[in-house]
Amino acid sequence: MKIRIQASLETTALTLSSAVLFVGFFHLNGWLFADLAYSEGVNWVFLPAGFRVILGLILGLQGAAGIMLGTWYLDHSSLHTNLWLVVLNGVVSGFTPLLVMKVLRRGQSAEQLLQQMTPQRLLNFILIFAAVGSVAHHLVWLLLKHSDVNIWVDVWPMFVGDAIGALLMLYLLKLMLTKFKTL
Amino acid sequence: MEKVNTPFAAAYLRFLQLAKVIQALPNGMEMDANEKALLQAVVLRWYENQPMTVREAIALADLGSPATLHKRITRLREKEMLSTLNLEGDRRAKFLIPTERTLDYFNNLGQSMQQAHQVVPT
Repeated sequence: MKIRIQASLETTALTLSSAVLFVGFFHLNGWLFADLAYSEGVNWVFLPAGFRVILGLILGLQGAAGIMLGTWYLDHSSLHTNLWLVVLNGVVSGFTPLLVMKVLRRGQSAEQLLQQMTPQRLLNFILIFAAVGSVAHHLVWLLLKHSDVNIWVDVWPMFVGDAIGALLMLYLLKLMLTKFKTL
Repeated sequence: MEKVNTPFAAAYLRFLQLAKVIQALPNGMEMDANEKALLQAVVLRWYENQPMTVREAIALADLGSPATLHKRITRLREKEMLSTLNLEGDRRAKFLIPTERTLDYFNNLGQSMQQAHQVVPT
């Protein structure tokens, strides 16, 4: 019983930490790359995409749930005007990396997937995740916003932003790990 | 075998797995086999207290043509694996010498060789 409570607390902590990291980096990204914004929530460089990859791979469901909660928090001002858009936007934001992972795993556990992960596969994963994520987001927006979405044009900035953002985050982590190792 | 089942422990172990892959991501500073061969030739001469000049390096016919070797030296200098030194009194001769990064590289190779030697059962 005690172990189960501890596991629940740890799961909650990991989920909330994921949400806080995602929201924090969303604001940091908006501040750092304000000039590169394409439209609301779409930027040619989107650092939080890196957390989608990292948290998706490390935490799985908890990471996805955290990112979904974070996205809901970021969109909460639109909650009354377009509830379904906010709900689905959060689900797509959080669960796309998990979905990509599920497809790539082909029945393997997350540990096995990471065990067999190579730098080349990780880079492929980022590209696939950026493509699936940007298409999924735009399909949701097309279905629920109708008017101001031109999917054939608008999907590219998000794809490029997610791919570059995720790459930047991974290389930042690589730099930090190298520095940490030399200390 | 008992599996790790606390969320924190599982997350940390997966982080270690991912960190290993992230550290192996290419950084654009890797050397190909030809560059490594040239670097070894240059560093060996430096180690023997007879540093190689650029002129001598581009004349290493077994490693390539002078034009190819010149490009290779430029690439190694861009990757901060080689540096040049002019001796006082002779501004024409430009010597090739290893950098700090090169010495770290050979140091790592030496350590890897030592570790591999320790693993081999006697």
